[in-house]
Amino acid sequence: MSNREIAPHTRGESMFVGDLPDPPGLLHAAVLASPVPHARIVRLDTTPAAEIDGVECVLTAADIPGENQIGGIVHDEPLLAEGAVHFVGQPIVVTIADTPRRAREAAQAIVVEYDELPGIFDPRQAAAAGSLIVPSRTFSSGNVDEAWASCKVVVEGHAESGGQEHLYLETQAALVVPQEGRRLRIVSSTQAPTAVQRIVARVLGLSMNDLEVDVARLGGAFGGKEDQATPWAAIAALAASILRRPVRITLTRGEDNRMTGKRHPYSSDFKIGLDAEGRILAYEATYYQNAGAAADLSPAILERSLFHATGSYFVPNVRVTGLSCRTNLPPFTAFRGFGAPQAMFVMESAIVRAAEVMGIPPKVIQQMNLIGEGDAFPYGQRAQEGNARRAFNEVLERYDVASLENEVAEFNLSHTLVKRGIAMMPVCFGISFTSTFLNQAAALVHVYTDGSVSISTGAVEMGQGVNAKMLNVAAHSLGVDPERIIVETTNTLRVANTSPTAASSGADMNGRATEIACRSIIERLRKVAAEILDTTVDQITIVNDRVMADGKTSELKWERLVSEAYLRRVSLSTQAHYATPKIHFDRETEKGEPFAYHAYGSAVVEATVDCLRGTYTIDRVGTVHDAGRSLNPLVDMGQLEGGLVQGIGWMTVEELLFADGRNLTDTLSTYKIPDILGVPEIEGHFLEDADNPNAVMHSKAIGEPPFMYGIGAYFAILDAMKAFRPDRKTFFHAPMTPERVLMFLHGDRLQASTEEIAEAATVFQR
Amino acid sequence: MPRKIDPKKEPDKGVTRRGFLGSVGAGAVAAATGVAHRAEAVPEITEPDEMVQVALRINGRTHRLLVEPRWTLLFVLRERLALTGTKVGCERGECGSCTVLIDGRTRYACMTLAVEAEGTEITTVEGLLDGEELGEVQQAFVMEDAFQCGYCTSGQVVAAEGLLRANPSPTLNDIRHGMSGNLCRCAAYVHIFKAVDHAAELKKGGRQ
Repeated sequence: MSNREIAPHTRGESMFVGDLPDPPGLLHAAVLASPVPHARIVRLDTTPAAEIDGVECVLTAADIPGENQIGGIVHDEPLLAEGAVHFVGQPIVVTIADTPRRAREAAQAIVVEYDELPGIFDPRQAAAAGSLIVPSRTFSSGNVDEAWASCKVVVEGHAESGGQEHLYLETQAALVVPQEGRRLRIVSSTQAPTAVQRIVARVLGLSMNDLEVDVARLGGAFGGKEDQATPWAAIAALAASILRRPVRITLTRGEDNRMTGKRHPYSSDFKIGLDAEGRILAYEATYYQNAGAAADLSPAILERSLFHATGSYFVPNVRVTGLSCRTNLPPFTAFRGFGAPQAMFVMESAIVRAAEVMGIPPKVIQQMNLIGEGDAFPYGQRAQEGNARRAFNEVLERYDVASLENEVAEFNLSHTLVKRGIAMMPVCFGISFTSTFLNQAAALVHVYTDGSVSISTGAVEMGQGVNAKMLNVAAHSLGVDPERIIVETTNTLRVANTSPTAASSGADMNGRATEIACRSIIERLRKVAAEILDTTVDQITIVNDRVMADGKTSELKWERLVSEAYLRRVSLSTQAHYATPKIHFDRETEKGEPFAYHAYGSAVVEATVDCLRGTYTIDRVGTVHDAGRSLNPLVDMGQLEGGLVQGIGWMTVEELLFADGRNLTDTLSTYKIPDILGVPEIEGHFLEDADNPNAVMHSKAIGEPPFMYGIGAYFAILDAMKAFRPDRKTFFHAPMTPERVLMFLHGDRLQASTEEIAEAATVFQR
Repeated sequence: MPRKIDPKKEPDKGVTRRGFLGSVGAGAVAAATGVAHRAEAVPEITEPDEMVQVALRINGRTHRLLVEPRWTLLFVLRERLALTGTKVGCERGECGSCTVLIDGRTRYACMTLAVEAEGTEITTVEGLLDGEELGEVQQAFVMEDAFQCGYCTSGQVVAAEGLLRANPSPTLNDIRHGMSGNLCRCAAYVHIFKAVDHAAELKKGGRQ
């Protein structure tokens, strides 16, 4: 990483939206949100708010000049509620005042009367009531119905996985400053500047070229600022546009937690069939996705669940169905993994259950069924590499899993109240947006006459290190010192029609575009250099700020070459576009090659459970991850560790709770995320000799795949619990909170007769 | 200390204030009670928006300003003094993004009233620079790549500084516990941990 990029963070100089200086005449917006999950609005009186000193105006749906519609995939989400509300936290009225506090006071003064309607919060209930976001979808391969007959073992079960709050430390925020005429400049904490531009244009009845969206960096996003950043930018833009004054909106932590979407909770059924050795012959699953009150990105997320239904395994006969269920909860949205973790949790649950029935370790089934080179996924694409097996086997060797298992077994024999567990977790993740059209990116590169370079791309920096990677790509492609290069903010005036920075694809696609742009500038500069040095173009290369001619270092340096090129009226700027080649998918047949490639890896996870208290620690995670030829090993290791820890959080301590549609976990004291005390010892290794021909500089995307190693934490804890209670049937209900652990270990006894409780007590003395 | 304050006044509906009252920590309760006793002795009452004068010593400079008694130190640092290195994360003492040093000890600026901080020596992340150069903790964070999005970083850096001032040779366990009040959602913890360890050595003139 260049110091240019990182030192500002440690100096406290990095500017997030909330750190930008207030423009003159700044106003602040606040939102009145629905306190009820489902109701008709029978009366709305905003006059008490408008009468408060300092309140500039109060805006409702009636004040929207364009379309009151922010839905992306499905047009089913108003910016401000009209006539009815569908979830607790749904924005109804916007208040604008001279201070944030007064704007919030005004919102509280508004009188609303609700006629409450019944709410649906459970996805299965929603499905039963026919309340779906889009029609259900099914992916299938082989013939599942016939395959069951040839299976030696067939097991069925349920798996539940909870939602997950993004908890980006920078809450949703936007600052909108009116420009000349009807134009607006929007600074938004968004992963999707173009989505903000498009939706704000729709809401205000403006053209996209009336709007500039600028993003410097995000204080975390993880998918939570892909579609969910848009309403706040739109609310501020609405007010700024009507009042022709700058308007800022910043959600408080509580508002953010209550009003914005999170990872989808899934309720799933599975059925798996195996032969006597443990080969998986057939797999069937149905996913009930709790989509919340509006589509948001749910259909695309459900699609990725279907793509990743069989995880890292090859299964010849598959039928998986996904239902996106409309409920009265906030619209659930993208979160690292985008539906894949939910589906992989179900697959791993099926394997663990089958192993339990067969009396063999889950690892045996896992290893036997890993997808190999040339094997087809249920959607038709074939695995291009055998890296699933390579990574798994390397984990077994590198961390000596066999010895670890022996240690765990010995420990469990010699300990009564504390048990250890171990689990393997393989990951296979398809890289590309599954909506093929999104797989395009652009870059704009300027070389200034002093030799300094500026790079603009469609990628948004949110901590994933994409700017550092763009810098690496540009420095490498231009042959110059990285210190010469600045990676600019993401701005719709410089790079238009950007895809969201999502699907782990930001560095892949924008890196390629940057590479193409840099190369085209270098081609021009090489011609200039050949003229100056009186040689042929093919003899010219530029390395380390110097021109090499005929294999020797010449005295022509980068600065002089650039200024000579300028004097010769050679363009020093280029815009380049990249579209991922070859990918396609047919939603009629549900077959195609949707992914440029897959990223693979495996982890071994060790846990210790205090079987008296139900508490546990995740002790150690060893991984071997396929990052291709890493673009930046430091950044990639950070992504590996960070993704893994977030995945562990999702599977263990992060419990999102609603009661009648109200979020009970809207603070950091009620919703726990991993802290430094909860982080295991992590050993990360990258798969060697894993050059990837399908991405920039032979690298592989890394943002999302490591998240799913966290699933191993659930099964490691379960393994330890089973050591204490081998008599109990395992359950698949994430997160595995200490409460759930305790109930598994002792719940049946505590609800039982005194004799049984006494019997339970003897266990402690054993 | 501030001239006038009325602790019996109904709290305002401002979210910052309510958030503060809703999760007030033991330290802040004690401080507020202390103020209350004094206020009873001096029955002078201010209106909610009335300003009081304070002198705050921040990063070695004294700032004389008018503040509302309910303003947090976090608010004053960011909104009145443009010291935006101190970040807003939760405003209720749960995340650590706003960590500052008060008389050398780590404190959450969101849980500290500006008026409480009068007479103390306040250090923010901006105050840890060694002239234009990065301080040891900042250097160590850069060297160990101890951040991703950077939003929690200033709080982490200040917390590490506070930890090392109190305990120049922390054990690994001391580091874990000393840094456990600062959340990092990107989960750069492994690197933060190494950075604090590295900073301890830098401060002692060791490993570069």
